[in-house]
Amino acid sequence: MTASPILTLSDLEKTFTTGFLGALPGFRRLPWQVRGIVQTVHAVRGISLTVEPGETFGFLGPNGAGKTTTIKMLMGLIRPSKGSATLLGKPLNDRAARARIGYLPEQPYFYEHLKPMEFLDFYGGLFPMTVRERRDRARALLDRVGLSHALDRPIRKFSKGMVQRIGIAQALINAPELVVLDEPMSGLDPLGRKEIRDLIFELKHQGRTVFFSSHILQDVEQICDRVAILVRGEVKRTGPINTLLEDGDGGVEVLVAGLPAETAARLGSGVSLREGHRYVVASVEVDAFLRAALEVGGSIRSVTPQRRSLEAIFVEEAQRA
Amino acid sequence: MRQILVIALNTFREAIRNRIFASLVLFAVGMLAVTMAISAASLHEEVRLMKDVGLFLVSTFSAVLCIFVGASLVYKEIERKTIYTILPKPIHRWQFLVGKYLGVLSVMAVQTSVMSLALAAQFWLLEADFGLVMLQAVWLIFVEVVVVAALALLFSSFSTPFLSGMLTFGVFVIGRFADRLATLTLKAAPDQSQEALDRAAAFAHGVAWVAPDLSLYNVTSYAVYDTHLPEGFVLHATLAGGLYAVICLVVASILFSRRDFM
Ligand SMILES: Nc1ncnc2c1ncn2[C@@H]1O[C@H](COP(=O)(O)OP(=O)(O)O)[C@@H](O)[C@H]1O
Ligand SMILES: [Mg+2]
Repeated sequence: MTASPILTLSDLEKTFTTGFLGALPGFRRLPWQVRGIVQTVHAVRGISLTVEPGETFGFLGPNGAGKTTTIKMLMGLIRPSKGSATLLGKPLNDRAARARIGYLPEQPYFYEHLKPMEFLDFYGGLFPMTVRERRDRARALLDRVGLSHALDRPIRKFSKGMVQRIGIAQALINAPELVVLDEPMSGLDPLGRKEIRDLIFELKHQGRTVFFSSHILQDVEQICDRVAILVRGEVKRTGPINTLLEDGDGGVEVLVAGLPAETAARLGSGVSLREGHRYVVASVEVDAFLRAALEVGGSIRSVTPQRRSLEAIFVEEAQRA
Repeated sequence: MRQILVIALNTFREAIRNRIFASLVLFAVGMLAVTMAISAASLHEEVRLMKDVGLFLVSTFSAVLCIFVGASLVYKEIERKTIYTILPKPIHRWQFLVGKYLGVLSVMAVQTSVMSLALAAQFWLLEADFGLVMLQAVWLIFVEVVVVAALALLFSSFSTPFLSGMLTFGVFVIGRFADRLATLTLKAAPDQSQEALDRAAAFAHGVAWVAPDLSLYNVTSYAVYDTHLPEGFVLHATLAGGLYAVICLVVASILFSRRDFM
């Protein structure tokens, strides 16, 4: 199979009109004198992107950059003002394509009266799946997202992290080829963030394409093949994250306590610098380094990437505009 | 079709598990019981009075609850953002709307049946005859619900619950008087112009033409005097109500399919 892009956006644009008149269907044809009294917001200003099958793609941008608006256009919730997009090679409203996509909205909210199995069975029922398939998948997914202990609880009683996890289970009920997640880690504690990160990583290993938005660098850098940086409705940069953070791989700073000097020497090849408790390790070696450090009895105090921050890029791009 | 049923079932389940709904139904049944007891204690014509009051209560509670449930259900999906996870699935927007509608109807079927059974039970306790006309009257109340629910859904496909509740209620009241509005004539006093009144009357006719004729579904007078309904009346009224509801749903689907969900 030749790999054609799983997602393409070409010159996608959305202009919101706010205020009473803006809600009129024929608004755009009104004379400008009338339109002038209405506010327009250019939420998305002509985005073009392609995402290849199997990629994990990070859609980065500060709050209000237009990430959610773009994703909602892709999901058919909002109609683009201009431009077009394809999902799995089909136009946006194609239902066969939508049967192969999973989506988790930003700050999702779900039917509170349902218990987890009922919840997933409901979403499964919207796809062409047999009852048996639905049940089996639901059970497996609840197990995977760690909610098997909460089967008797209605969603009303779920914590924020549990809601996010059942939301992801919902997005995966149809074994989608493309998974679209809008700020899946926002509002979670560090442990919750890591759980979501691991889940995305697992999806990637299953060969699924993941497209997710975030405004936090740490959430995306270890798991994304490529990212796009969106500022004020425009894509400013696209590419692998390392090349975008121009300073390149400055390594990761790890503080480890409790290591005698002689064991510290055995911690692997990735260490480029050592000053007392402070080590600087190549990004790709961090996992191995940490494992080794724990094994020899060290205690990890902190892990910090040595890079230019994404925030710096946001600010810089916003100022340039 | 299956997707429609999945949405309908979920809507039904949500309403049934909602405490407010359950307490409203209980309240309605309680009201019914008390009122029946009072009218049974009145001196004469207790059965006629019971039929009159009973049907009035069943139809009023059904309509009010229907407006309440129908006007808030679609909006709730939007406000709570649950709709964001549903519409991206392989389902047409109209299927979602029809599913919601059937869900509301099934909820209302429960409510109308519970109240009607409570009413019939009172008759049974008093060893009075419920009768065929009463059954037909109850069925027609449900047909009215079919119409009112469709109106509520139509309005809530583009406005807020409060507004669509008010609009539905307005059309409901007009609909109950539609037969009188349709034949309204206004006579001017000697010092007034007849022309303006004619225009007002024409407006009333127009309103009556657009609004559903809900007077069709009120056959209390037949029930009270125990006279048979005209041949084919129930069928005709049912078809008229069904057609009106379908038209509302088609318009609602068109409006709904053009919306942005933000
Ligand atoms: N319904 C709306 N009406 C008017 N403006 C909107 C609407 N939704 C979003 N916007 C505006 O569009 C811009 C992009 O918003 P959004 O897509 O939510 O950004 P992000 O998800 O990146 O935080 C913001 O400036 C926001 O204020
Ligand atoms: Mg957002």
